Amino acid sequence: MNAVRGVALRAVTAATPTCVARTADYAYLEPEERQRFQKATGIAERRIVAAGQCASDLCLAAARAALAHLDWDPASVGALILITQTGDQPVPATSIVLQDKLGLPSTCMAFDINLGCSSYPYGLAVAGSVMRTLGIARGLLLIGDVSSRVCAEHDKSAWPLFGDAGSATALELDESAPPIHLDLCSDGAGKEAIIIPGGGLASRLPPVDGRIAHATGGDGVQRRADNLVLRGADIFSFAISRVPGSIQRAIASSGREAQDFDFLLLHQANRMINDTIARKLGFAPDRVPTSIEHYGNTSSASIPVTLCANAALFDVPRWVVASGFGVGLSWGSATFQLPAAAVLPCIDTDDVY
Amino acid sequence: MTIDDFIEKFAFAIEVEADTLTLDIRFKELPSWDSLNTLAVIAMADADYGVTVTGRDIEASTTVADIWAIVSSKCAAAK
Repeated sequence: MNAVRGVALRAVTAATPTCVARTADYAYLEPEERQRFQKATGIAERRIVAAGQCASDLCLAAARAALAHLDWDPASVGALILITQTGDQPVPATSIVLQDKLGLPSTCMAFDINLGCSSYPYGLAVAGSVMRTLGIARGLLLIGDVSSRVCAEHDKSAWPLFGDAGSATALELDESAPPIHLDLCSDGAGKEAIIIPGGGLASRLPPVDGRIAHATGGDGVQRRADNLVLRGADIFSFAISRVPGSIQRAIASSGREAQDFDFLLLHQANRMINDTIARKLGFAPDRVPTSIEHYGNTSSASIPVTLCANAALFDVPRWVVASGFGVGLSWGSATFQLPAAAVLPCIDTDDVY
Repeated sequence: MTIDDFIEKFAFAIEVEADTLTLDIRFKELPSWDSLNTLAVIAMADADYGVTVTGRDIEASTTVADIWAIVSSKCAAAK
């Protein structure tokens, strides 16, 4: 796979709602189970949106912060790409609504991509390639999800894992930028591992019929057809067996060695997964920043959230290898350089636009 | 790679005493068994035997011997 050349990351921002949901308070687990859950997953607390706040609101707050930080005129942005699985409505694409809300010009291209945990490497690949090929000087890559809105609160296999977040990565054409090396993979045979089975046309159910029945899954959990089903053990097995190779391929194509990277940024699904991947690749824990303790699994936004939750580490230029993996199955890795002070601390916001 | 080693590693993974575990134990009926143990067994198979056990493998298993059969056959296939 060719690298994306001549595209620089200028700013990374992330926004989360203020409401904190603590594992210690989760009513559907016994107190002892809560402790075991927290120890195994690493999740102590997460941020959850109030009714009405959307992924687009969080992404918009992050995008405004990035534009303000860079002092970019909105009129100078020629591409807006949103990656989410929790858009505002089925049609039209939420990115187009955000083009208007952000005051971007009508000459700005805008479209959505439907991906989850693998969004960051895919987003850098698509946004960087489009900007480079079409000569678009500045672009915004917005990535975020409000997974709390699609999980049943009593579903202990999913609800206590996910946090809500939105993010923005500002990209700019720059001939002197180091190349972004990539490895991007898919395996649709694993689609059942994380799925919202209802609401689409393949389910043969009307998307909204006002009386969605609860069904009991094979695991005994009652869910609506438009609730997310997560088979954690299958994801775990997939992640520890197939992700290390993707990261190794991205590193190899960069011509660098693992030890040349300052940090390994991993999708934040589960502490045990990330400890295993890091150990296989020879990254000591101090080179693998995390955000899962305080933000949980922020789905598509997990890599930018982890960058922003550790913004102080990025005061100086840093080489990063990042990998996202999950729903699809879809996974990918990217190597890139972050210039000094391009990562801003996480923003707290309950604003609805 | 012996059965005794495997039982010891399995017991360590699911945080029970090794001498309480035998091949014919129905591990999902242990009072301490939960879904997090599933992840621990997958992690053990990966770290100690270098093989990928899936969630479905564990779902389809009943006894410790079933898991041992899966791990040992995957080890043999990998050679």
